[in-house]
Amino acid sequence: MTKEQRLIKRHRAEKRFKFYGLFSIFLALLFVLILVNNIFSKGSSAFMKTVIKTEIFYDQELMEVENGASREDILDADFFDVTIESLLKVYPTNGLEEEKQLINLFSTDAEIEIKLNFLENNNIAGQKIILEITASDDIDQLHKGNYPRDLPEERRRISDFQLKIFDKLVDEGKIEKNFNNYYFNKGDSRDPELAGIGGALIGSFYSILICLLLSFPIAVLASIYLEEFAPKNKITDFIEININNLAAVPSIVYGLLALQILLSTLHMPRSTPLVAGITLALMTLPRIIIPCRASLKAVPPSIREGALAVGASKFQSVFHHVVPLALPGTLSGTIIGLAQALGETAPLILIGMVAFVVDIPTSPVDPSASLPVQVYLWSESAERGFVEKTSATIMILLSFLIVMNFLAVYLRQKFEKRWN
Amino acid sequence: MNLALIFLITIFSFSLFFYGRSKSKSLSIENNYKLKALPKFYGYYLVLWCSLPSLVFLLVWTLFEPTIIKSIILKIAADQGAIMQDQNAANLIYEKIKAVYLGTYFGDIDSLLKESALSYAKFKNIFTNSKIVLIFLIVISSIIYALKKIKSNNKARDDVEIILKGLLFVSSLIAILTTLGIIFSLLFESIKFFSVINIFDYLFGTNWSPQRAFVRDASSITAAEYEDLKDAFGFVPLIAGTAFIALIAMLVAVPVGLFSGIYMAEYATKKIRRVSKPIIEILAGIPTVVYGFFAALTVGPFFRELGENFGLTVSSESALAAGLIMGIMIIPYISSLSDDVINSVPQSLRDGSYAIGATKSETIKKVVIPAALPGIIGSVLLAVSRAIGETMIVVMAAGLAANLTINPLDSTTTITTQIVMILIGDQEFDSPKTQSAFALGLTLFIATLILNYIALRVVKKYREKYD
Amino acid sequence: MNEIKIKSKNLNVFYGEKQALFDVNLDLNEKEVTALIGPSGCGKSTFIRCINRMNDVIDICKVSGSIEMDGIDINDKNLDVVSLRERVGMVFQKPNPFPKSIYDNVSYGPNIHGKGETKSELDEIVENSLKKAALWEEVKDRLDEPGTSLSGGQQQRLCIARAISVNPEVILMDEPCSALDPIATAKIEELIDELKKTYTIVIVTHSMAQAVRVSQKTGFFHLGKLIEVGKTEKIFKNPDNKMTQDYITGRFG
Repeated sequence: MTKEQRLIKRHRAEKRFKFYGLFSIFLALLFVLILVNNIFSKGSSAFMKTVIKTEIFYDQELMEVENGASREDILDADFFDVTIESLLKVYPTNGLEEEKQLINLFSTDAEIEIKLNFLENNNIAGQKIILEITASDDIDQLHKGNYPRDLPEERRRISDFQLKIFDKLVDEGKIEKNFNNYYFNKGDSRDPELAGIGGALIGSFYSILICLLLSFPIAVLASIYLEEFAPKNKITDFIEININNLAAVPSIVYGLLALQILLSTLHMPRSTPLVAGITLALMTLPRIIIPCRASLKAVPPSIREGALAVGASKFQSVFHHVVPLALPGTLSGTIIGLAQALGETAPLILIGMVAFVVDIPTSPVDPSASLPVQVYLWSESAERGFVEKTSATIMILLSFLIVMNFLAVYLRQKFEKRWN
Repeated sequence: MNLALIFLITIFSFSLFFYGRSKSKSLSIENNYKLKALPKFYGYYLVLWCSLPSLVFLLVWTLFEPTIIKSIILKIAADQGAIMQDQNAANLIYEKIKAVYLGTYFGDIDSLLKESALSYAKFKNIFTNSKIVLIFLIVISSIIYALKKIKSNNKARDDVEIILKGLLFVSSLIAILTTLGIIFSLLFESIKFFSVINIFDYLFGTNWSPQRAFVRDASSITAAEYEDLKDAFGFVPLIAGTAFIALIAMLVAVPVGLFSGIYMAEYATKKIRRVSKPIIEILAGIPTVVYGFFAALTVGPFFRELGENFGLTVSSESALAAGLIMGIMIIPYISSLSDDVINSVPQSLRDGSYAIGATKSETIKKVVIPAALPGIIGSVLLAVSRAIGETMIVVMAAGLAANLTINPLDSTTTITTQIVMILIGDQEFDSPKTQSAFALGLTLFIATLILNYIALRVVKKYREKYD
Repeated sequence: MNEIKIKSKNLNVFYGEKQALFDVNLDLNEKEVTALIGPSGCGKSTFIRCINRMNDVIDICKVSGSIEMDGIDINDKNLDVVSLRERVGMVFQKPNPFPKSIYDNVSYGPNIHGKGETKSELDEIVENSLKKAALWEEVKDRLDEPGTSLSGGQQQRLCIARAISVNPEVILMDEPCSALDPIATAKIEELIDELKKTYTIVIVTHSMAQAVRVSQKTGFFHLGKLIEVGKTEKIFKNPDNKMTQDYITGRFG
């Protein structure tokens, strides 16, 4: 091999190597793109729901209450007959089977929607009113184009008869897409069209709040101790080793800890944001202490010496001068720690947050879900409607995380002083 | 109740601050001496004495009250003839009693339940009242003590600082307490598990099917029953599955992560670095449940269809899908750590290599990487420990059946998956099945601990070398 | 007088906005030692880093003017920097052996340039280079030990061995003795004297005594400008320029 050939070969190797690097970065970026695109294209339709404009006849003869009845009476009353009679008028049916198929176009909550409308306008008995009734999950998915109609009938969840009604309703302009209020203000449900993240949002909020209230002060105090006051001895070393190891312990182990200590030994209530918050706080603590200490360490000794030189006590020098200067770094570390806690799933599964909870929690000791756990729960469901709901929940979860991370970066860049 | 108490203590402490401040001033005027600290420190001193002992007492009381009441009530119930064969039955009865007390019990209330509920109400009342009285006493006595100190003109600032320093120290002890808590809770159940299942049968058994171990009295297992049981808790398929998926993940993450790190550190212009580094790090910030969802609903089915086209049978929950996605999750850990490590290799080594006429890639391959190798190995070990502890991706995408397989297209299971599967929903206490989850947790804890320890040591050694 | 090996014409170097060299015209003679002296930050290191284009490593560095080696402009875009550096070796201020064995440190260059195809050829190159660098006797029994385990002076000679292992024509030395003790310095100086029989050497130094001891020609730099250049004897005995005079008599620096 001549010198020139060798050089050409070496330069080719150089280009190849550089290409591998670029290609790796490209692969990683491509995956981010695919993931985000996949989630958004599946999830964005969940923020709308399909409704069917239906004429409801509040027939006096079928109703148990009259105009002006009390709230309790109306809520107790049965609107089943009114509902069925009105819904059956939508399309002529022949026989029980077709009637059933027609009714199935509507959400199982149709009766409640009709009842609530009566409650709001308590003088419409005997009248015919056009209402937008939430459609069933299958119709919802069909209308959004997520459901293939060209399968043979026996492999479809929607019968030919239902398709025929659907097409007619579309022609008549009776099918519309509205903002999906249910998705935000309802709890979990077995029916995708009625399932919402209201409960999970509140559950996550309480969990993170408790996690913040517990982990932030303790982490700051512990960091101050270790960085400013701790003597160099075995106990301090041991604490340091502990913190570093805890930061790397798999999150599921914290779930086992919570199960054994919080639930079995201390008898705290299962499936609640209280226990979730404490568990997440234990997990987050070392992850906050590490950046807190780093930002305390970044404050130069001259600041401390300056304060000590004017006769401040060690405490005053730390609390009046060092801590305020380290605060932005501390806060941004805390926010990133909380963002991780917000996305954490495994330990919450172990403390029973996978329980099926329909009611929206009103306090941290009510059973509840959380956003990531809701993602897990819905992803295990077979119904097509839940895929869209799961993706939408991921979108919401990711937007929280993006906001939090952005805030952390902003805090750090805006307020952190550079010491040199 | 507790909130009201905390509120009262807080309000009271606040007002004591002002009292302490003015009291110390007037004392110094009356008795004509110079205060040994600023008046406000006497205020702080009172606040700390008023709030700390009472709040600590309240916390301890609240943590242990339910346990104590439960044991008292169950003892009373047992005396009255309630039948409790085991822990589960006792728990059930206790829940019933509580439900009767709260008025949410809809079954038949027999006299035993009724009596127990009444005594539950009685004890609840006694405990609450004594809590209030005790807190009251504690607050009063600690204030009296503090006031006495103030009257003798103590060095209030030093005293306040000593108390606060104690508080700081206690905060940092939480880390040790957490570790102890983890070890205690894992060991406690694991020891019970290993008293039933021989540890060797666990470590070397090749069959994992804990569902076969339905509830039975763990304390009296006959030899024949044990023959049946020991075969249900073989750890080998789980460690094999875990290692296998971690291996696939590493096969994805190490080359991509390492090359990205190298490119970032050695080739990328500032502009590319500024844009691509945060984007890659997004991958580390995405919750694992999202990856799990993506693996289970998109990647798994995609592989199955792809396999069908080539005439392969691919399980929709395949080790390949889970491992691939886990690998992608781990890319940023490896890329940013190796980026850091490569950046800390001194420039003089690169210069030396360039000066003999090495190309950039030759310098990287033959000088920079060998010099950075310990750091890179450390970061890979950290990534491995993350991979074996990762839960959601494998729970959602890897499958539940404990197959001993090396076919990446098959489904396999992992340690973390089995922990979740055993403990999801209601558990039977004192069954080997439940306890086995803690034994798995202990194994996982020890494994990650060792990996992390080695990794941190290696990285630390490396850092010291070039600092 | 030996032939001119390297000729710089109107060489200007910029680091971003800041100009580091101003119109430097300097000839370096073959098989001779040229010393560059001057106060810190005067541009002498920048100048020698232009000769093997080490400044390419720094993004913000721009070079204009020309440096010709054997009549060919080395700043030519088409010239391969890799083969340039094969011909122009360099020894740095701080010894920077690779974290590899002594043997691997020396065989690294021949390896990448495809010299010494067989193990025995390579062994020979390593042995010769170490002998030329006057290190062979000290390390011949421990070639497998890491290069970093040697003493400072030995490390620097190892770096010299590394530089001559690819048989360059020119060796650039950037204050090669500044991190060494007097005994190690003496050894290196002896070595330079020996090496100049084979190689063209350019040495940047802070020590005027060293310049007198090792060089035949000396250039004085100040604030990025080449103030004066000439026979070492002349520069140190009766320089033409007042500033040179002031510097060598220690009035500033």
